[in-house]
Amino acid sequence: MNDLAWIIDTDIHPYIDPQRVADFLPQPWRRRVQSGNAGPGHLGYWNPNGVRRNDIFAPDDSPEKGKRVDADAATMVKHHLDRFALSHGILNADLINVGLSPETDFACAFMSSVNEAIVTDWFAVSPRILASIHVTPTDPQHAAAEIRRWAAHPQFVQVLMPSGSRTAYGSRLYHPIYAAAEECGLPVAIHPGTEGLGVSGVPTAAGYPGNYLEWHTGLVGSYLAHLISLISEGVFVKFPKLKFVMIEGGVSWLVPVLWRFDKNWKALRQLSPWLIHPPSHYAYEHILLTTQPIEEPENPQQLQNLLAMMPIEKMLMFSSDYPHWDGDTPDFVGRHIPAAHRRQVLRDTAWALYRLDERTKNTNSHHASRLIQNLKSKIQNPYVPISNHELE
Amino acid sequence: MSLYQITSLNELPPGARKLVTVAGKTIGVFNVNGQVVAVQNICPHELAPICVGRVDGTTLESQPGQMVWGRDGEILACPWHGWEFDLLTGQCLTDRRRLRQFEVKIVDEIIFIAVYS
Repeated sequence: MNDLAWIIDTDIHPYIDPQRVADFLPQPWRRRVQSGNAGPGHLGYWNPNGVRRNDIFAPDDSPEKGKRVDADAATMVKHHLDRFALSHGILNADLINVGLSPETDFACAFMSSVNEAIVTDWFAVSPRILASIHVTPTDPQHAAAEIRRWAAHPQFVQVLMPSGSRTAYGSRLYHPIYAAAEECGLPVAIHPGTEGLGVSGVPTAAGYPGNYLEWHTGLVGSYLAHLISLISEGVFVKFPKLKFVMIEGGVSWLVPVLWRFDKNWKALRQLSPWLIHPPSHYAYEHILLTTQPIEEPENPQQLQNLLAMMPIEKMLMFSSDYPHWDGDTPDFVGRHIPAAHRRQVLRDTAWALYRLDERTKNTNSHHASRLIQNLKSKIQNPYVPISNHELE
Repeated sequence: MSLYQITSLNELPPGARKLVTVAGKTIGVFNVNGQVVAVQNICPHELAPICVGRVDGTTLESQPGQMVWGRDGEILACPWHGWEFDLLTGQCLTDRRRLRQFEVKIVDEIIFIAVYS
């Protein structure tokens, strides 16, 4: 040793390749680290199958062989929309997570750019591609401005927020978002998967779940909290035309929770005196659910019994969640829906909610071309007008 | 029932798989640690092409807090929803449904499967 070497460094950071650590890990944790999910850095909960399906590539016997179906509009139209006889599909990007960043300026800028990327790369390719306006709920003023910025675009059909949140969505903090959405005739939707991320609360009211199975099963908890909050705080009294879409939160929990809510309201209505009807009334008038992941009880009749307890013909809409690991296909969902309501669930309710009559009719009108000009100048990107024959 | 020649043991070593279409059915033929099995390429849950899924081991039944890995190469996980199936029996590990299996015959290192046409 160098005689001069007598200093002790109490903090050195070696680079240890996580893949080298994996060599020493027992299973299943070695699989986890090898898959790239080492924990902290993103949410950390590990899905052993991957959150995105493994077979997201176009089939070998197609010209798009090997291309990701979820990564560009043309491939998605052919290998998802056409394959499953879908006339339209609404894009909700996983990037909505960034809306919960504590770096609000970044989150707002990022979400605006997500919307621009959707217009440029997806809408321009096919009028069958629709999307949500992605917003940053932690800055409601910015979110409201973003809604007004895009609302006239015929392919933006709703507003999307992550269901992970700092405060439940009935809070008046968020009302500027609802005012803008109602004014623009757009539903507001939430999508799960951000619970515990960024500035959102702990993933469950009981604290941190211990693995992905627990976390994912418990996501319904934030849906429950948002539903109760939205109704109790009078969002639908203040914004009577507002519709709220709870995407991917499950279906069968709703009715029993509303029973409990109605019962509590009978005793406690003075805390929410603006509720002149039982809470379930507002839920059935303003809340819509999407089908996936449809519950699959061992006895399928039990699901039928639950569906019969709610007006699914006006509040349930098909969703595939493609290409996530727990997605459903239309035929699979269709089999679970009573024949009398299948058409509404698979098409009619969404068609009406998203005003697709109007959106598809006006596409060649003077108004639409002015709109497109306006958008072109705004984002300075090519935009292909919609032609009616493409909509047939 | 007819026998269809698929490949040889030489060309389907342990861990390998081959997808074939015979009698109008797409079938995955797997060499599971030396034992050759054949299952239809349809997941009984939502009809996904299961045979392109991951073949792996899994965590065995264990006490809470213990992770015991085993059955390497015996478990086929569906590429859509991740449902795990025992390739040797066709049984799903978490549901009553099972994979459709086909009988495999090996004659002089040549692999045949038996399929009703």
